[in-house]
Amino acid sequence: MFIQVNLSLLEGFITTIQIFALTLLFALPLGLIISFGSMSKWHPLKWLVKTIIWIIRGTPLMLQLIVIYYGPGLVGVWAQDLIKAGVSNGILQWLATWHVFDRFFALMVAFVINYACYFSEIFRGGIESIPRGQYEAGQVLGMTKTQVFFRVILMQVIKRIVPPMSNEIITLVKDTSLARVVMVYEVLWNAQRFIKSDGLLWPLFYTAVFYLLFCGILTLLFGWIEKKMNYYKG
Amino acid sequence: MNILEVKDIYKSFGKTDVLKGVSFTLEKGEVLAIIGSSGSGKTTLLRCLNFLERADKGSITVGDKVVFDASEPEPKASVTRIKQLSFGMVFQSFNLFPQYNVLENVTLAPLLHAKESADYKKRKKEIHAQIEETAKSLIARVGLSEKLKSYPCELSGGQQQRVAIARALAMNPEILCFDEPTSALDPELTGEVLKVIRGLKSSDSTMIVVTHEMEFAKSVADKVIFMADGIIEECGTPEEVFDHPQSPKTQAFLNKITEI
Repeated sequence: MFIQVNLSLLEGFITTIQIFALTLLFALPLGLIISFGSMSKWHPLKWLVKTIIWIIRGTPLMLQLIVIYYGPGLVGVWAQDLIKAGVSNGILQWLATWHVFDRFFALMVAFVINYACYFSEIFRGGIESIPRGQYEAGQVLGMTKTQVFFRVILMQVIKRIVPPMSNEIITLVKDTSLARVVMVYEVLWNAQRFIKSDGLLWPLFYTAVFYLLFCGILTLLFGWIEKKMNYYKG
Repeated sequence: MNILEVKDIYKSFGKTDVLKGVSFTLEKGEVLAIIGSSGSGKTTLLRCLNFLERADKGSITVGDKVVFDASEPEPKASVTRIKQLSFGMVFQSFNLFPQYNVLENVTLAPLLHAKESADYKKRKKEIHAQIEETAKSLIARVGLSEKLKSYPCELSGGQQQRVAIARALAMNPEILCFDEPTSALDPELTGEVLKVIRGLKSSDSTMIVVTHEMEFAKSVADKVIFMADGIIEECGTPEEVFDHPQSPKTQAFLNKITEI
């Protein structure tokens, strides 16, 4: 039984790590792009982005998962109903073709958008904390804006945002358990199954070992990065 | 021959007029000291020269090239970027790049700039070696050869400012501007920075120094401008401005300073 539990949990854990890694892979660059949007000098874009961030941070991730997974399918059904009732136009025809996403895809879309918004605010805080003088020094030396950002600013931003980022990334590890909402089965769900099927409670608590180990490794990793970047101050 | 001709520069921020028609010329190898109380527009003038602010009116000519003319539409950033290299800038707060060591601080901009040259790929190694060698000689010139691998946070304020001077010199500007280079320094550290600037004068660099160090301005400058309320109140040789000021405002300013 122990081996069976281990195998099942391991399988779930791989899903957990997949969700975790793919979310980071896409949400980090997307977050940087969103942060540029929220700092844009063009106000319509700035406020649009700020509104999106407000909505995403202001609603539960669980709700976002449900909307992104079931939403398109519901729209499709609704459009089909309208067409059956005799209403018809191009847009409705197109909406009628909507159907539910692949569940893992829907899951990733929700996670990436949600985390990108949180990351974007961390990036924004980091970028805005860099003194103007750093940009000006680069500018008077004839660097392009891109060069100033990537060669001068970004490194300093990364140093400043490692602590809040590590916080958010460790939260992500545990948020992966929400995947069950769209029936993607990660480690916690796999453990819970044993309650119903075999009356075993301990696999549920056993998952804590997986989470603790994973977060422990992340903590060490972030500690190492922080130490690595400590060669300079400012 | 004039290396710099600044004509009728106006600049306002919102409703505040900071510069109200500033004109002056500078000859090659001359050192210009700009003095005046805070809020008189000294720093804004330097920032206009360095394209950190865009003047509302006026023109700037370096050598025989007009690098800025407010009556023309704002050129593309890429055009301005090349033009601004006529000027170098040393900031009051140094603004060194903290994540790079002394040598990297000095070589960063020249290396990025070299990448734009046509034969960069062919002569990459040669160009890198050359830039590094130049940087090292500039760092030696400001007396920091033994600090090549140090990071800005490991240096004193005076040393940081000397690195900033070397960094500005690395882009080989025709005119080097200093914005109150010693104002953020402890009194015992200002000497080392002023000594470096004095050294640059003897090598015929053209410089504009905004400063509160009157003794320094007196001894180093070829030309002194006293600014008040966004205009040049008085302009002349150090003897003229310091010893025989004509304007009552200059007299009042100099009196206030000597009172202390």
